[in-house]
Amino acid sequence: MQQTLALVVTTPPNSNLTTSAINLIRAAAKSGVDIVGVFFYQDGVLNAAKNLSIPSDEYQTLTQWQTLNREYAVPLYLCITAAEKRGLSDGLDKNVASSIDSTFTVSGLGELVELTSNADRVVQL
Amino acid sequence: MSEAIPNNITDNMTSNRTVAILNTEAPFSSATGKESLDTALIFGSYEQAISLFFIGDGVFQVIGDQNATEIEIKDYLKTFSALGFYDIENIYVCRESLTERNLPENFHISNIQVLSNKDFSQRLHQHNVIFRF
Repeated sequence: MQQTLALVVTTPPNSNLTTSAINLIRAAAKSGVDIVGVFFYQDGVLNAAKNLSIPSDEYQTLTQWQTLNREYAVPLYLCITAAEKRGLSDGLDKNVASSIDSTFTVSGLGELVELTSNADRVVQL
Repeated sequence: MSEAIPNNITDNMTSNRTVAILNTEAPFSSATGKESLDTALIFGSYEQAISLFFIGDGVFQVIGDQNATEIEIKDYLKTFSALGFYDIENIYVCRESLTERNLPENFHISNIQVLSNKDFSQRLHQHNVIFRF
């Protein structure tokens, strides 16, 4: 039976824990584990900010998430309450442009409950 | 038919799953305490088995007679009273953490069980999933 894994990312894009999460997901996906989803909460929501420009010699976290989503179809769920608290917007308000990358699925804490009950293992770094 | 059996096993595994939330930070230095409580309440509203653990500076979150209106922050401590509404009754506090901080066992919520390091650890390890805040 294929094993399933869910991840919770609570650290910002410049944290090495986020890099470790990306490396873990890639390694798990390559070895045949089904990644049911990554949930972004607390400062982890900043990973979804699309307007950040990181110097080219630094680790490009957003590009890494986009690659994981494209290559392994890893769903990326964003807690909108935590995101809005940190100044991100989903663009539903006509006066404010969306600042969330389209790779991410806007959701809420209920998604964390779903992932927790669906995955064989839940990892938070 | 051969596929139905492993699915049933998975269902049994996940339906008995217990979740622990381990709180390690003081209440008002960041949004961590509030976001932890929000998580607990959501799991409670989905009728999932969930327990709260407080250790280290996390014990400050349950100490009584705090007045957050003195600082520019939302007083989320009042929301702890909603735990009972969702039948979240397993709340554990580390005795050593209280002693190290010279804190009395004066809490703003009921149902708290103060446990020794050993009992705290044993109780925590009875859970399938641990979220740390």
